[in-house]
This record gives sequence, structure tokens and C-alpha cells, in this order.
Amino acid sequence: MGRLSPLGRVGLWLANVAALAFLLLPLVPVVLGALQSEKSLTADIRSLLPGQPTLANFQLILSGGANRGPIFEQVTYLPKSIERFGAAFLNSVIVASSVALLTLALASLSAYTVARLNVAWVKAVVSLSLLARLVPLIVLMVPLYVLFRQYGLLNSLSGVVLAEVGFLLPYAILILVPYFASLPVELEDAARIDGCTRFGAFWRIVLPLATPGLAACATIMFILSWHELLIPLIVVSRPEAMTLPVVLAGLVSDYFVFFTLMMAICLLGLAPTLLLVLLLQKYVVRGLVAGALKG
Amino acid sequence: MAPASSDSPKSRPLLRAREPGAGALALLLNLPAGLVLLAVLAWPVLYAGWLSLHEVSLRQLRSGELPFTGVANYVRLFGDDVFWLALQHTVVFVAVSVALEVVIGLGIALVIDDERVALSRVTRVLLLAPWGVPPVVNGLLWSFIFNAQYGYLNRTLLALGLIREPVNWLGDPSLAMVAVITAYVWRTTPFNILLYHAGLRGIPRDCYEAAAVDGASGWRRFWHISLPLLRPVIAVTLILRTTFAFMVFDEIFAITQGGPGNATWVAAWYTYRAAFQPPFNIGLGSASASVMALILGVAALAYARLVGRRLEA
Repeated sequence: MGRLSPLGRVGLWLANVAALAFLLLPLVPVVLGALQSEKSLTADIRSLLPGQPTLANFQLILSGGANRGPIFEQVTYLPKSIERFGAAFLNSVIVASSVALLTLALASLSAYTVARLNVAWVKAVVSLSLLARLVPLIVLMVPLYVLFRQYGLLNSLSGVVLAEVGFLLPYAILILVPYFASLPVELEDAARIDGCTRFGAFWRIVLPLATPGLAACATIMFILSWHELLIPLIVVSRPEAMTLPVVLAGLVSDYFVFFTLMMAICLLGLAPTLLLVLLLQKYVVRGLVAGALKG
Repeated sequence: MAPASSDSPKSRPLLRAREPGAGALALLLNLPAGLVLLAVLAWPVLYAGWLSLHEVSLRQLRSGELPFTGVANYVRLFGDDVFWLALQHTVVFVAVSVALEVVIGLGIALVIDDERVALSRVTRVLLLAPWGVPPVVNGLLWSFIFNAQYGYLNRTLLALGLIREPVNWLGDPSLAMVAVITAYVWRTTPFNILLYHAGLRGIPRDCYEAAAVDGASGWRRFWHISLPLLRPVIAVTLILRTTFAFMVFDEIFAITQGGPGNATWVAAWYTYRAAFQPPFNIGLGSASASVMALILGVAALAYARLVGRRLEA
């Protein structure tokens, strides 16, 4: 690409710093807010750094409101979200894992037929998935609320899982189809010549070869499920079945909430998926690109 | 890579031919996903259309009788000024946020594509960080940033001496819209950066080298090589981002709850409020949802054609 002029080099370096600032700067107030007391946050509205950094917010949240420490000793009101945090975190783990596994199982079967079985109508599966991926969630949730009410699925984690699997399944198919299609056919053919059935070849050859693609799909599904607010917000109203986004959403209408406490609980809520994205970046990137562009 | 069929010309056609059982197997393997999609996706969307023609609120749901009301819900919907206002806000929200996502996304993609730039590798690694933040958390964190009394935006501006008095970002109708768009664009732009980055990677480096030999400047290389070759990717992101921005909910919920006044009511918020907040008019919500589905159906068809064509090519 040739050499850069000194001016061009400085310009591009500045542009890159601006890009980094755009990506990371908004996360800084969460950390700064979470690490101070409400007193130090409100003491000086011009100061940027916490006067006395403290972990009291995290202690309070992780102990479910029990470990108050000196900072929260005098506080008479604590938001419900604090005591619900632990159970909601667990619910989110259960829901996101189930959704990831179920969508993966269903989508891999469908994606395999699209990529490998030369059947005319199967091609329509992809077109329908492309269409279904763009169904607005709120459009789905109004009728789903009525249907779930009839079938007793409201206020249950299984209802949340079912709705999320249905909503995410088309996307999972779109991520997996190009992945299966890119695997060499020769190995399957060889297995079939050796007497393997089609399904046997899928099970013993294709699936193990597709592990990176399956990992990418599962990671993305886990993250999207962990992020999902509207589905559990509408399906669940009982505190015991709430997932993390619903509990976090409860802070919105809470006028007495401390921002410092809110940022601490936000940090705990965003940490799992942020870490997943950064640690499994290779898979996430591949899955997102495949799912959007290759159908 | 040479086509696989060249090394085994005899065995390939035999295996690829439609053998008995392929159709049955395809049916069997698609059955689980098909049933789930039918039950939780296709049927509800049709059911929303049916509900929109009936009187449905909590009372009717309890009694189990949903009286048919014809187009009454639609008459009420189209007669509601707030609905039109919400649609207008949605158009503004979609247009501004999609434009920003494309421009910022392209800009950052071009910078990180250049390996000579110091630290561009760091940016590539951290690229998806905002995408990893749950939307509702994103809303809460920006509501803290924009908070008039203690928010970090005012703090920074005050500390830098750019403003003398704190600005009430979320209390002013037009500033509140700017705030929710900013929050939304921050979370969603990384997806665009990623796709543009992938698109740029797909452009053969020879193209640039040939252009550089011919003396084309960086700007002309972008305009005459990168941009035309990125056009299909940009088209895909335009459709995807438009439809997703059309459904925006979480940031509105967490930052403004539609306020101040009606200033940030958007289509999804209208539907949610109509159906799930008192007086729980699910019929009206279904009508609003059906209108949204119709509007987005057009975009979905365009997307299916665009990406689907590439699959067959």
C-alpha cells in the first residue's frame, strides 16, 4: 500500500484514537460511578474521578443487600433489584444456556439439510429464515402474551426459553448454513462409500468438523438471550422467574435509586457478555459476518 | 481451489443425485425447527392480525370471549395523534441512526483496515465491546451519562469550561431524541464496522496497488475502488439496521420512557404502551403491531431478495 506521508500518519493515528475513544469512553462512567459512594458522586459535580474509591456497592449487591457496610448503614430504602440480583443472574444463566443449546440443536439439523441435501423445497428454508429474522419482536409479543396466557406459559422460565428459541432460530440457521456449506463434501462422501448413512455422516463427520461454527452460533445465541429484555419483561411478572435485564429494568422507574449502585449492578450485568465477546471474539466475528452476508 | 468434482468425476454425480430418502430425511430434520417456528413465530404474527380485529383487553381475556369489532381498532389507531407522532419520531430515529451507523462504521472500518496505523490492532480487538453490552444496561448507563445533576457529560463539559450551567439533556424534547439516538448508535455501530471490515478484507490488495501506481490519491482509491466494491455489504447493513432501528425499544425504555412529554415515543414504544400498560388495550396494540409488521415486511422482502440472490449465485 506504499508509504505514508508524516502528515497522513499523524492523521490516521488521530483517527484511530478517536475510534478507540468512541468505542470505550462511554464505558468509563460505569466504572467510575460503580467505584464511589453516592456522597462523593454528589459532593462535587465537576470532579471526574471518585474522591474515595470503594467497593461497597459491589459488596451490597453480591450479598443481596445483607452486607451494608458503613456507606449503606443509614440507608432506609434499597431497590428491590438488589435483593433480586442473585436469583435473576442464575435465571439468566439457565435461560441463555438453554436457548443457546436448543437453537443450536434445531438450527444445525435445518442448516444441514439446506447445505447438503439437494431437495428443491429446502432452499425455501433460507428465504423464510431471512424473512423471519426481521419480524419485529414487539409484533410477536402482543399475540404471544395472549397465547402464553391461554397455555399457562406466563411467569415460567420455559415460556421465556420457548419464545426466545422461536425468535432466534431463523438467525441461528442463517449463521450455520454458510458454515456447513463451506465444509468439504469429500469426507462425507468417503464416509458414505464406507457404508455410513446420510444422518450418520452428519452426526459423525459434519458435526465434529463444524465445531468452530457451532461454537460461534452458540456464543452469539447465548449473548443475544442474555441481552433480551422485551420477551421476559412481558412473559414474566413474578420476581422468582425474572431474568437479569428485567430486574435491571426495574431500576428505571425507581426515583430513589443511587446512580452509583445502578452503575455497579450494570457493570455486573454487562460483564459476562462483554467478556464472552472479547474472549471468543474469533467465533463471534465469524458468526456475525456469516449470519448477515451469506445467508 | 479446483472444483471438487474434477478429481472424482464418476462417483460425484452418483452421490449428488437425488437418492431415495433425501427428501424424507430433509423433512424429518426440518420438522423440529419447523414446528417451533410455526408455533412461536408464524402463528403469532397471523394471530396478531386476528386480534387486531377484536376487542381484547384483560376483561375479555379473563372471560375468554373476544368480540369481533371489525376495523374499530384501526380507526382508533389512525385517529390517535400520538400514533402518528410515534411514527414520525420513528422515521427520524431510523434515518438519523442508520446514517450515523453507516458513516461512523465506514470511517472506523477504513482506519482499522490500514495495518500501518499504530494501535489499529488494539481497535480491532476491542471493536465489538459496545455490542457486548446488554441493550437495557446500555440505556441505563447513558441515562447516567446524560443525567442533568450528576451525569458525566455535564461533569466533563463543566470541567472543561465548555458550559457554565448543567444542561438538562433528557428534559428537553429535541435533546432527549439526540440522547437516545446517541446511546443506540453507540451500541449498534460495531456491527456495521465489523461487516465493512470484512468487506474491505475481501477486496484484493492488487486493486489498491495498481491504483497507487497510477497515482490515485487515498480519497480517490476509496471513492473508485473501496466504495463500489462495498456496495453489496452497505446495502445489507442498510436494510438490517433500518429494520432493527425501527424496532428500537430497550434504550427508549431505559433512558426516556417516551418522554419528556411524547418527545421520544416510537412505534415499538407505542405498541408496548397500548398493549401492556393500563388500560391494556391488546386489540389496539395488535393493530399497531400489524401496521409495523406491514411496514417492515417490505424491508424484509428486499433483504431476502438481496442476500438470497447471492446464495443462488
